[in-house]
Amino acid sequence: MAVRAQFENSNEVGVFATLTNSYALVAVGGSENFYSVFEAELADVIPVVHTTIAGTRIVGRLSAGNRKGLLLPTSTTDQELQHLRNALPDAVKIQRIEERLSALGNVICCNDHVALVHPDIERETEELVADVLGVEVFRQTIADNVLTGSYCALSNQGGIVHPQTSIQDQDELSSLLQVPLVAGSINRGSAVVGAGMVVNDWMAVTGLDTTATELSVVESVFRLGEGQAPSNISTTLKDSLVESFY
Amino acid sequence: MAASLPQPAAAITGQPEDLLKRPLYAFDIPSTLLTSLIVKGSGHDPTTAQDSKDNGLSTEGIASAQPPGEVDPTFGMSCALCAVKSKTLQEQRLHAKSDVHRFNMKRKIRNEPPVSEIEFEKMIEGLNESISGSEASSSEDDLSSDPLANLLRKKAVINSATDPLDDAPRKHKSPIIWLSSPLLPPMTSLGIYRAVVPNLVEETDVLSLLPALQTTPTTTAPTTSAPHIFLCMIGGGHFAAAVISIVPKLTKRSGVVEREAVVLAHKTFHRYTTRRKQGGSQAANDASKGTAHSAGSSLRRYNEAALTADIREVLGSWKEMLDSSMLLFIRATGTSNRRTLFGYDGAVIKSSDPRIRGFPFSTRRATQSELMRCFVELTRLKVSHVDEAASISAPTAPTAPAPVKAPVVKVKPSKEEAQQLQHSTTLNTLLRRSKAPAIVTYLNSNKLPFTYYLSPPNHHTPTLLHLAASQSNPMVVLALLTKSPNDNREPADPTIRNSAEKTAYDLAGDRVTREAFRVARQELGEDKFAWDSIGVGSPLSRKSYEEMLEHEKAAKDAEEKERREKETTRLKNMPETSSSAGSSASSKGGKRLAEVLGTHAAAAAREGETRGLSDEAKRRLERERRARAAEERMKRLAEK
Repeated sequence: MAVRAQFENSNEVGVFATLTNSYALVAVGGSENFYSVFEAELADVIPVVHTTIAGTRIVGRLSAGNRKGLLLPTSTTDQELQHLRNALPDAVKIQRIEERLSALGNVICCNDHVALVHPDIERETEELVADVLGVEVFRQTIADNVLTGSYCALSNQGGIVHPQTSIQDQDELSSLLQVPLVAGSINRGSAVVGAGMVVNDWMAVTGLDTTATELSVVESVFRLGEGQAPSNISTTLKDSLVESFY
Repeated sequence: MAASLPQPAAAITGQPEDLLKRPLYAFDIPSTLLTSLIVKGSGHDPTTAQDSKDNGLSTEGIASAQPPGEVDPTFGMSCALCAVKSKTLQEQRLHAKSDVHRFNMKRKIRNEPPVSEIEFEKMIEGLNESISGSEASSSEDDLSSDPLANLLRKKAVINSATDPLDDAPRKHKSPIIWLSSPLLPPMTSLGIYRAVVPNLVEETDVLSLLPALQTTPTTTAPTTSAPHIFLCMIGGGHFAAAVISIVPKLTKRSGVVEREAVVLAHKTFHRYTTRRKQGGSQAANDASKGTAHSAGSSLRRYNEAALTADIREVLGSWKEMLDSSMLLFIRATGTSNRRTLFGYDGAVIKSSDPRIRGFPFSTRRATQSELMRCFVELTRLKVSHVDEAASISAPTAPTAPAPVKAPVVKVKPSKEEAQQLQHSTTLNTLLRRSKAPAIVTYLNSNKLPFTYYLSPPNHHTPTLLHLAASQSNPMVVLALLTKSPNDNREPADPTIRNSAEKTAYDLAGDRVTREAFRVARQELGEDKFAWDSIGVGSPLSRKSYEEMLEHEKAAKDAEEKERREKETTRLKNMPETSSSAGSSASSKGGKRLAEVLGTHAAAAAREGETRGLSDEAKRRLERERRARAAEERMKRLAEK
């Protein structure tokens, strides 16, 4: 199930929300419209938490997490940490990380098994990522961009990477991640797929501007719709994608 | 537009003299000479050249290891970055976590070519060697924990010259590469500008790169498709640029075949932009001092803008030629000049272009003729005749001996000097306390002459007698002048003059001291010294002198007594007022200033008396003072 949403006229859904298989973080907005989208889909399955991080609303860019854990930057306040601890399931480990690259959502891209991180991240951070999130960590770039979290949206079913990622890089990454990958865009041609959408194993939320083609790619690669295997993209949809955008 | 180039080597016969008869052109070196060239100065031999060539090929191999589109069974399992193919998933994952992969990723981010695993190992080893000798042991565990971080740190710190993979222009080396050849006469070497050879990494690569650069001169004018270089200079409102073909054109002039450089395009501009007399550009002045509003400044501002527009238009129209240029020689110092060329919308040249070179020599005003001079300078091979053996055998001989700076060494006083200093200090102290007998005994016991010269030498008071006289110390003066005859020692000489031609007598501060000289005259006799020449008055017997002293002392005492009596009567005359004043002051609980001053003055006076005395003397003084005070009290009690 892929849905479109907007946070106060912004399409960058991934900036204002974090979505995992065991919880969702949503920024505190002026209205509850954005929150409602998540609540409508997830309310009786996983907790949807209103929060700020370091007093800001860009919770999606500052935090990184998966089913097992949540990583927060060092600028997170004690109150916020306590609030999250109270709201999230006990099985979820929460860890504050001292890292120079403090926008963890931009530098870490992960599912429940693997994480791709910024090549310059500190060794301690790498170890914490591996411990808290229970993943195998690879320092990688995506289409020569160091911000793996910004240019890659990943779930346990599949992933979307920067539209200009070469075929070879896609194959290598896909082999490392052990999930199918496609190069694609979001929000009517935006390359920052990681910041433009959030995804877990059952749902994806994209910006309101996302085109039908983009949405169908999302649904197929993350296996959100019925009968949509990733292979379908490479045969039928790929051509139209290329025509429309590049 | 043509400039005469170094002449063709058409008639070269292989004789060494003939090769150098005419200047050699870098892009048309005779093939016999070219094949025999050897790079000088780096311990080079042909085998190492072969090695470096192989290395170059292997790095190329890395870059093109995976042609895209080729289907490979283990396609997704490879690492395109490091050109590594993995057979199993496990292997691939291990590689993705390896140091060499991370290192290559960082190199890629910095637009540097990747290194192979073997090269990486070498770098790490080099790191270990270089660090183990110099680093403290504390950093070694750090080192072992993360060799990659260490390597990256080292590469960030150390000059890139140590890294064989870094670009040549960043190295600080001679701008000229010297080559030698057996075909050349002995002690002759050929120099080629490093900047002229594109893609030069190692000095030794010049041999492999040069043959590809050679051109064959044509009789027809070369077109823009032929290899060419771009030269450009901006400065002080002058602009000159030219695209010059490196393929020379042969022309026959008065029976001699001459080589000419063909200028494919050229343009010069001049505009009034510099501030006359003050210097500097208008833009620089505006930036530092704020916009000026004079007529001249607005003229210059307009001209600067117009010059920039003109230059960009010319560069835009030459875009194709610039793109195909082999090298871009640019002289544009200062931000405004560089901004004219780079970094605007639709800029033809990027400042990061690897083809860009500076002129490796000083250049003059940007004109067309200067560009041609620079082209010839760049492309002509330099010839040097240096006897290397001689210069090696006497490496430092020709340099003039460096002027030896007089070392500022604190001279340690010799034992004798130290002793003299010690004597002077002691005598000084004794003199200050007017211990005349002590001075005499000291001089006698240390076998010092009475005409004692103080050390360190003093201009005003060179001798002890001078010092005593200047301090108005009649007892010491008299002792120095008269005590010695008893034991047949020479008395102090009163005729010695200081640097201002003053005798001790002249320095004497009061009459009593001067009288002391008269006593000495009496006792020593008229013949002893030329008393008159130093102005000492008529002889005076010691007895009369002492009488005089007595008399003076009595007069003084009487005067003092009188003064005291006067003072006491004065105080007695106003007992009421003072006591009332005292009571009023005490009733206020304060202390009058006079009281405070009085006690302080008394204390200060006491302190002054004891100053400079030994502890024992002080104690004695204090005892006497107390005894006197006790006596006084007893006396008062008895009176009552």
